[in-house]
Amino acid sequence: MQEFAGFLELTLIKATPLIFAALAGVVCERAGILNISLEGGLTVGAFAAVAVSYLTGSPIAGLAAGVLAGAVLGGLLGFAATRFGVDQIVAGTGLNLLAAGGTAFGIVVLFGTPGASPEVPALGARGEAALIVLALVSAIGLQLGLDYTPWGLRLRACGESPHAVRSAGLDPRRIRLIATLVGGALAGLGGVFLSLGELDIYSDGMTAGRGFIALAAVIFGRWTPLGATGAALAFGALSALQFVLQRAGVPSELMQALPYLAALAALTGIVGKARAPAADGVPY
Amino acid sequence: MSADAGAALELRGIVKRFGTLVALDGVDLSLERGEIHALCGENGAGKSTLARIAAGLLAASAGHVEARGAVGLVHQHFELVDRLRVWENVVLGREPRRGLRLDASAARERVRSLAAAYGLEVDPDAVVETLPVGIAQRVEILRELAREPAALLLDEPTAVLAPQEIDALFATLRALAARGTAIMVITHKLQEVIAHADRVTVMRGGRVVMRTATRETSLEQIAHAMVGGDVPALAARAPTVARPAFAARGLRAGSGAHALREATFTVGGGEIVGIAGVEGNGQTALTDAIAGIVPYAGEMLLDGRPLGGSPAARIAAGVRVIPQDRRREALVLPWSIAENVALGDQTRPPLRRGWAIDRGARDALATEIMERFDVRASSIRTSVASLSGGNQQKIVVGRALAHAPALLVAYQPTRGIDIGAAALVASRLIEARNAGTAVLLVSFELDEVLALADRILVLYRGAIAGEFGRDGFDRARIGALMAGAA
Amino acid sequence: MSARGAWLFAALLVAAAAAAMALAGANPAAGFFALVRGALGGEHQLSETLVQTTALLFPSLAVALAFRAGLFNIGAEGQLIVGGLFAGVAGAAIAAPAWIAIPLILAAGAAGGGFWGGIAGALRARFGGNEVIATLMLNIVAALVANYLVGGPLHSAAATGAETPELATTSWLPVLLGGTRLTVAFPLALALAAFLRYVLDGTVFGYSLRAAGDAPQAAARAGIDLGRTALVAMTLSGAIAGLGGATLVAGVLHRFNVALSPGYGFIAIAVALVGGLDPLRIVLAAFAFGILQSGSLTMQALAHVPKDTVTFIEGLAIVGLSARHFAGRRREAG
Repeated sequence: MQEFAGFLELTLIKATPLIFAALAGVVCERAGILNISLEGGLTVGAFAAVAVSYLTGSPIAGLAAGVLAGAVLGGLLGFAATRFGVDQIVAGTGLNLLAAGGTAFGIVVLFGTPGASPEVPALGARGEAALIVLALVSAIGLQLGLDYTPWGLRLRACGESPHAVRSAGLDPRRIRLIATLVGGALAGLGGVFLSLGELDIYSDGMTAGRGFIALAAVIFGRWTPLGATGAALAFGALSALQFVLQRAGVPSELMQALPYLAALAALTGIVGKARAPAADGVPY
Repeated sequence: MSADAGAALELRGIVKRFGTLVALDGVDLSLERGEIHALCGENGAGKSTLARIAAGLLAASAGHVEARGAVGLVHQHFELVDRLRVWENVVLGREPRRGLRLDASAARERVRSLAAAYGLEVDPDAVVETLPVGIAQRVEILRELAREPAALLLDEPTAVLAPQEIDALFATLRALAARGTAIMVITHKLQEVIAHADRVTVMRGGRVVMRTATRETSLEQIAHAMVGGDVPALAARAPTVARPAFAARGLRAGSGAHALREATFTVGGGEIVGIAGVEGNGQTALTDAIAGIVPYAGEMLLDGRPLGGSPAARIAAGVRVIPQDRRREALVLPWSIAENVALGDQTRPPLRRGWAIDRGARDALATEIMERFDVRASSIRTSVASLSGGNQQKIVVGRALAHAPALLVAYQPTRGIDIGAAALVASRLIEARNAGTAVLLVSFELDEVLALADRILVLYRGAIAGEFGRDGFDRARIGALMAGAA
Repeated sequence: MSARGAWLFAALLVAAAAAAMALAGANPAAGFFALVRGALGGEHQLSETLVQTTALLFPSLAVALAFRAGLFNIGAEGQLIVGGLFAGVAGAAIAAPAWIAIPLILAAGAAGGGFWGGIAGALRARFGGNEVIATLMLNIVAALVANYLVGGPLHSAAATGAETPELATTSWLPVLLGGTRLTVAFPLALALAAFLRYVLDGTVFGYSLRAAGDAPQAAARAGIDLGRTALVAMTLSGAIAGLGGATLVAGVLHRFNVALSPGYGFIAIAVALVGGLDPLRIVLAAFAFGILQSGSLTMQALAHVPKDTVTFIEGLAIVGLSARHFAGRRREAG
């Protein structure tokens, strides 16, 4: 029983950054922005949180900084996509590189040596738990918001037909930009959890492709907040299982590969032909 | 133009530039309360642009727009969110709230009361993409009416309606006008203008060229003003004897509201068979099935042999389709005329030579098409995107006819092009028919079908509702069948 | 983007780079000088720059080919890795004269990369699966598979790190310039660029591929099989990237390990865009980025500017360039 509780706890810990990133993906894609820079959002969120905690000694300030950094990166994508009609996939790839290079650069500039930061004041066990709760609450809140509020209706309309939104007298570009800011903030929160919640340092590449697993979770979850969260929890459970199975001799790489293989399988439509928002990725 | 205190909508000196292109060159227009005002003009005259500016969806480069209230615009190609429900579309941007929540029952109620007030029955909970086109139009009208506009603009609203539905729509508009709303209808259907509009404004080349009360003018005068001259005549129909060419038996394709449920018919070589019908009654499924790009049931024969297989096989067998949407379905916009001309024939000689494209043959073909079809462009290297709709369509038609097809399917062949180009395209279709090609004309414009076809088949809800020979063309009866009469 | 816009954008990148350098406590002028000197300041430096150019050129051509077909191949990195892996395995197994061994090794690399790209192509062709997601996922799977294989079953007993056995010297790519790492891979890449240019512009296959990318619905109605085109294009694209991985294994490292590529497959996206998706212009773009890559190490050593500055600038370049070539190229549904 105790082992199971431990497994559950580990699942939640592994799933939380995925949940935040997947929610970010859902918000953006339902508005029509295919955001593949979730990885970058996690990265800058994790780094900014550690950097500001290091500089100010306050992990709370670090948390705020992480959220802000994620929002800024998301906003860059949104701005580029809505003002300049850029290709969202290419821009997202660029932002990932930008985030990777920028944070590696930042480590050297701020901490003197490349690779990782020193230990910094972190959020502790209480803070970690609070973020886990926040993730689950956000999932429920976003689901309710999408389905039952006017802003949710407008966001969904944007992702299906920005022209219709325009005819209704609204500005779809503004809605999409706000979506990327909110999404970016969520991704940043995910990064904060990684560096200040679960641990107390930042190291190069610590996001390890979670932003891409989150994309898989969005597909599995059929572009709904609760669905994506469920998928993220499943992936978290896989991750938690990894330690157990590794002792049994299963190669860790196979375990790590499972979420990605699952996403590939999802592309074959096994999970059902749920359609992405009609204007997903289409510039307006 | 003196400022009129009673005008619901006043446009003064409207100029609109897109880069170097001047779409509107100083347009004045005033729309009075309670009138139905028709705006006519060729494609490219600037009507839709003016409407978008009047509705506030587009900013003018210069000039003033003054409206005594909201200005609603019902688009030619609806701008609804297909996957949402009717009530969600109607209240979008003006959602009734209860605290943070969207008040769905209040929204439904609002739709019901609006629908009842204006006689536009529709189910608030229906998902828009399941609705027939004529009903979907009501949703867009309701959305605009929900804004309680001082002026309501409708862009080609009757393009998707059967003749009887057109009468019903104008009755609704007249009732609206009687309640004080100013109504402007953009249309190229001049009979409707004469029958229903109080005043008419004609635009040409971005300017207003005529402005008058409809009872003081005639259809011919309006047409003359639109074209700036006389409408070119069509080619003569040669006497032909239709010989067996194409046959469809039990054809079924697509699903849902716009499916083709059952079609059995023939098209003979040397005749034009016209499919008359309102948009959304299975025409697209029919033409796509013949083109081979959608799965279908039933069989087709061409010159006695079964017709089947991939689009490539059908092209090789002699089937050519002029699709509905030339920009997306027929042309590669960034490419040159020469490169576009090869599309569809690139895998066979003479355009193919071994691994490579034979540039000489391709360029020769492009030059020939440009000459035969009077395509106005600097050279065959010109990018197709920079051509007008009429010139683009001429290339599409020229390419389709260049290889003497056995069956030519022309789907909305004169949609969105100027009158001169439309006359040329129609003439070429007649000439192909004269030469023995089997021509299947699918058009939402009943007048076009009446003018060109040897036989007319009416398509309603995916099935053939009636057949008429040229001697027995009965406009009223055909219109009734198009609307679903028994 | 107009010519003026291009200069403005380039100036913006330079300014951003200078700001980053200043932030790192280095002198921007010294940084740029070290970069250029490190890339072009001598015969050896130039050869290294050409080595980097070659390493970038293969995946860039791969990305461009896919993009021209309307497919977002974000997976050149994974295809390169798998190609390198296959090449490393083949190289370790083959002991034969150079004229047999080298083509076999290169072919193995192309086959590996082609297989990896083909998976994404098949998912797209058969199921309509979004190739962006597919190639992204496959990148990571490739790295994991390589990690596992090289750490375990394919591990070289003779080596200290996780890598395959070293290739026999007869299997090494012939060097063009004595004492440098510049091999025949460079002219091979150039030849490939010229060949691709011809294929795209002059052949029926290239015509169909471009039509599928520029106007998919019109292409389908003209008889072009979009699914088959997607599969073939992704497979070819992967094969070219895999070939690039093979040249790295046979020409530079002489073995396969997981540090084969510092992200060439991602930078290739920027190179392809800068080159306007045209194979010949891509050669020039690859050279420009090759300068950045090879100069960045010197920049770090001499002027103490972190080499990640270059990655950051490359990312910025991609974001800025994403407007340029896709404004007219809408992704059609289906």
